[in-house]
Amino acid sequence: MIKSYKARRIISNTLIYIILAVMCIIWVSPFAYLLLHSFRGEGYVTVNYLIPHEFTFDNYIKLFMGAGGDASINFPRWFLNTLVVAIFSCIISTISVLAVSYTLSRLRFGARKKLMNVGMILGMFPGFMTMIAMYYLLDAMHLTRTLVALVICYSCGAGLGFQISKGFFDTIPRALDEAATIDGANKNQIFWKIILPMSKPIVVYTVLTSFIGPWCDFILAKIIMGDDRANYTVAIGLQAMTTPEFIQAYYKQYLAGSVCVAVPITILFLKMQKYYVEGVTAGGVKG
Amino acid sequence: MTFVEYKMLNPFQRFAYNFKKFFKNIPSAIGRFFKACGRGIKKFIFGIGKGFKNYGTTFVKGDWATKLSYLIFGVGDLHKGKTYKGILFFLVEVLYALYMIFFGWGWFKDFFTLGTRKTYVTYDEMGFPVNHPGDESMKILLYSTLTIVITAIVFVVYIANIKDAYRHQVMKQNGQKPTTLKQDAQEFLDGKYHITLLSFPVLMIGIFNILPLIFMILIAFTNYSKEHFTLFNWVGLQNFGQLFDVINSNKKATTFIGIAGWTLLWAVVATFSNYILGMVVALMINKKGIKLKSLWRTLFVITIAVPQFVSLLLMNQMLQENGAVNILLGQLFNGGQSMGIKFLTDNVWTARITVMVVNCWVGIPYTILSMSGILMNIPEDLYESARIDGASPVKTFTAITLPYMIFVTTPQLITQFVGNINNFNVIFLLSGGGPTTTEYFGAGKTDILVTWLYNLSMGNEQDYGLASAIGILVFIICATLSLIVYNNSKSMKDEEAFS
Amino acid sequence: MKKVLAILLAGMMTATAFAGCGGSGNASSSGSSNSSGGSSAKASGGKVDEAMFGDETNISLKVWAPDKGVSLAKEQIETFKKMYPNIKFKNIEVVAQGENDAATQLVNDPNKAADVFSFPSDQLNKLDAAKCLSPVSKAFVEDISAVNAEGTVKAATLKDSKTKEEVLYAYPETNDNGYYLVYDKKVVSDDTAKTLEGILKACKDAKKEFVMDCGNGFYSCTFAFTGGAVIDGFEDDGETQKFKEYDENEAVDTLMAFAKLMKEYKGTWKSQDPAQIASGFKNGTLGAGVDGSWNSVADKEALGDNFGATKLPTINVNGKDKQLISMFGYKYLGVNAKTKFPRTAHILAYYLSSEECQQQRAEKIGWGPSNTKVQETDFVKNDVTLQAIAAQSKNAVAQVNIQGTFWQAMGTLGNEMMKDGWKPDDKAATKKLLQTTIADVRDEG
Repeated sequence: MIKSYKARRIISNTLIYIILAVMCIIWVSPFAYLLLHSFRGEGYVTVNYLIPHEFTFDNYIKLFMGAGGDASINFPRWFLNTLVVAIFSCIISTISVLAVSYTLSRLRFGARKKLMNVGMILGMFPGFMTMIAMYYLLDAMHLTRTLVALVICYSCGAGLGFQISKGFFDTIPRALDEAATIDGANKNQIFWKIILPMSKPIVVYTVLTSFIGPWCDFILAKIIMGDDRANYTVAIGLQAMTTPEFIQAYYKQYLAGSVCVAVPITILFLKMQKYYVEGVTAGGVKG
Repeated sequence: MTFVEYKMLNPFQRFAYNFKKFFKNIPSAIGRFFKACGRGIKKFIFGIGKGFKNYGTTFVKGDWATKLSYLIFGVGDLHKGKTYKGILFFLVEVLYALYMIFFGWGWFKDFFTLGTRKTYVTYDEMGFPVNHPGDESMKILLYSTLTIVITAIVFVVYIANIKDAYRHQVMKQNGQKPTTLKQDAQEFLDGKYHITLLSFPVLMIGIFNILPLIFMILIAFTNYSKEHFTLFNWVGLQNFGQLFDVINSNKKATTFIGIAGWTLLWAVVATFSNYILGMVVALMINKKGIKLKSLWRTLFVITIAVPQFVSLLLMNQMLQENGAVNILLGQLFNGGQSMGIKFLTDNVWTARITVMVVNCWVGIPYTILSMSGILMNIPEDLYESARIDGASPVKTFTAITLPYMIFVTTPQLITQFVGNINNFNVIFLLSGGGPTTTEYFGAGKTDILVTWLYNLSMGNEQDYGLASAIGILVFIICATLSLIVYNNSKSMKDEEAFS
Repeated sequence: MKKVLAILLAGMMTATAFAGCGGSGNASSSGSSNSSGGSSAKASGGKVDEAMFGDETNISLKVWAPDKGVSLAKEQIETFKKMYPNIKFKNIEVVAQGENDAATQLVNDPNKAADVFSFPSDQLNKLDAAKCLSPVSKAFVEDISAVNAEGTVKAATLKDSKTKEEVLYAYPETNDNGYYLVYDKKVVSDDTAKTLEGILKACKDAKKEFVMDCGNGFYSCTFAFTGGAVIDGFEDDGETQKFKEYDENEAVDTLMAFAKLMKEYKGTWKSQDPAQIASGFKNGTLGAGVDGSWNSVADKEALGDNFGATKLPTINVNGKDKQLISMFGYKYLGVNAKTKFPRTAHILAYYLSSEECQQQRAEKIGWGPSNTKVQETDFVKNDVTLQAIAAQSKNAVAQVNIQGTFWQAMGTLGNEMMKDGWKPDDKAATKKLLQTTIADVRDEG
């Protein structure tokens, strides 16, 4: 009996290993393809075989050093822009999210439930039309074609994404606050000295999600930056490389650029994965 | 069904029962929702009435300074010795007056016509054209909206100023002194800490989310489109009319209904396929005895980390007629000859299924991550006692793991459902809405409402009014759905379960 | 209220002063519009009297050129500055801006856009609807009409909505925004390249592909045009697309002939993005394709000596060979209506569209000229692609006055015919498809 149980377990585990291995191959192979072809030496846009015949670093070298001659393709600059925007918008976003979610979770005041409902649904408006309005508001502040505008755009709505971190704060026992209040702490001190130090997972989760945003948006950023290529982000730049004007000459560089964007974020993500899981779990359960 | 009967069911029957109950409850939940909305509106109207009454009585009871506060902000506070607040109130009035004089009124006066002067060109004596710019309806509408919002805020401040003046008057009559700046500051770090924390995020949301939103909602009632680009007009409900004009088989109505149907189907399938498959994979990874857990998870997580415009455009390239997938399939099954399957451009259902499958590729890792966390969080003693009772692994799974996960993740499911209704990236970057069809106006067979909205506003059609109307409808669907579910969900009801 | 009025008045006065800064003081109305230019100013060959600058000084302008043309534009602007030594230029910068979304960028925010910009002809209506274009100075109209190809000038001439007179809206820049046949001479001989049937057969025999993008309205409108369903500007409402009168039977027969070839040569005729064509030549999988002028460098590079280019082939409809009719566009230089230096902007645009500049562009970056003299130069005559473009332009419909609804509808037409399930002999279905397409283009849903 025991033996057959063990045998069954071995069989089922083997089966699971096989399934997982196959799935992982499916999941990873597109990126493997991307990586391989970013080193491709021959051809223009596509080739009719899977593995490149010539491998070269040229695509990467041209991407970073060439700066494209006449074409104002300036990947290093774009990369730097995106990094700056990502850092600042993630700082502001994190502050907003934490402030809103802490307030809605731990503080009690009249309009709390209403604010929560409004906050939840506001983010559901599909907002392409709002981009025009945003552009002219930023223009009235003389901010268009600047990185500041992008930071504002990416962090302005952050407060609306409070659900997950509110869920997280909900799980912290209320007795802690009460004990601190008895000891004479005010709410400000409770927030900074007691709750925040316990919230590493959710802080990391918020930082991570808001850091990734600027690397992905190519619609709003394009509207704001217009013709000012020096202030492009990588997403607009890479997207531009696939337009008819550039695709013949730049497709392989586009692949290389995609790798350059994907690798750092992936590494960051993998490093922070533990916290991400903790944050999303604790928050998701309740949020 | 009694509690005992319920307890006797096996987990799957319980799940089915709960599932049925959930859907059975939907009509009553919707009923409750609209009732609540009705109550809210009633309360609001009564509130306004009460406000007017208070406004009057306060004026009658107020002393001269309070009365003067009705005209000049902050006089009451200044008179009662609350200097800093009085100055702040007064500053608001001054700034508002300056804003209206130098900016606001100039735009707002055209709000009802949205501008009438046309742009035209004349020529100077050397033949050079001279441009005479006319009104721009878009700017008029935007800055009028801004003016309305600012006026509303100033009105709130105005009422607060009166209330504060009266409050201080009463305090003075009772022989109390107004609080000092320092005391107030202390209060903002404690009793009113929510105001301190919320002010910055709310300000940002107000300017860059709510204001554009109001603007967009207003656009839905205009004929802003490429034919009326500089000067447009109010047209009432015409845009909504077009969308529901089924009787005349208006092409826009046909498109709307077709796309709305597909959007719902897409959202349901995309949500549940991700959920179920993600759960299965998470269970496999977290099964006892499976090694390299973090490696498996890591490999899946790469899809989350790579920006979607990279991964989805890559997928699009690979699924082309001469793309990598066809080459690979050809090498495996067709003797090296490319298969030439048109995944995304030919057959409607081939394309729809392809999009759904790729969406699994994108979405499953998210489920795996959140599920893994939850699985690790299931209290170990539950399993312990099950093992002591001699339960088989299958039994443990159906009796403990499954119910726990379903209970815990229902709210997430709703968020994902709404997210999928608005899942712009997957459709736009992957299929671009194709395959095209002659049945629809400005949309293809895999287009969902948001991508159609994008085509209408940013693409060739440039029918902003119609696009906004669609946006409003999508919003109503999503908002109603999620408000109902959230306010009826367990997590909302026992919000303080853990505290 | 008084204050508001005062501010408004002040604003209006500045506006008037600004409008009159051309030196005339009063912006004379349409009275002078019929005479081409004032008596003192005569312009030819891109050069004008310095007096024409009026009192514009400390001039700073922004010019948009596509990436390929930036450095040449910079050189040309240096020359331009030297031509007028007494005028004070502060800065004329050239900024790279793809032509494909020039209009979008300009319409989004005219105040931050370029003063002089390059754009393709199909964006003319969009720019006009948004009132972003300053029409060509009356002083230059005569000269421009005289030296440029008639079609180019006609395509940029629209009716003014107010005065109902014909107005030239932009300065012709090129005559090459179209597509033509490119082929691998090893697979398709110069002679077979004359008929579509021949090309497809040659490709199939050599196990190569033929690429023509049927899902993109820019290319697939050929199917409708060849059958006679040709667009002809707008109806009187200025919005609805007008079609020339055509024989529906013939149009349907032509569509069926195309669909038949697609079916017969399934696996050979591929509907793909033209960006793939150069790759296909390089990989050796492609025999011929319908490609645009902007890809010609890569195509030439991929095929080397075997590169062939010519006008589109003919197709056999009911025993008669019919020439394929294509969409053909031009590129223009436009002047932003909101420019702060209207005179300089116009003079610069005039110079950049001149014979001298067009010649340089043809030689240095391979752009097909619209100037008739440059069209006759040896350089242009000996260039295979430029000649192919020029030949096709005689069998083409000008890409102007096209509604936004056109592209998707025409793309759908091509896609439907390309679908595996489409039956080429089904006359009723083809007729319905044509009717739906036309109705969609005309937005008569």
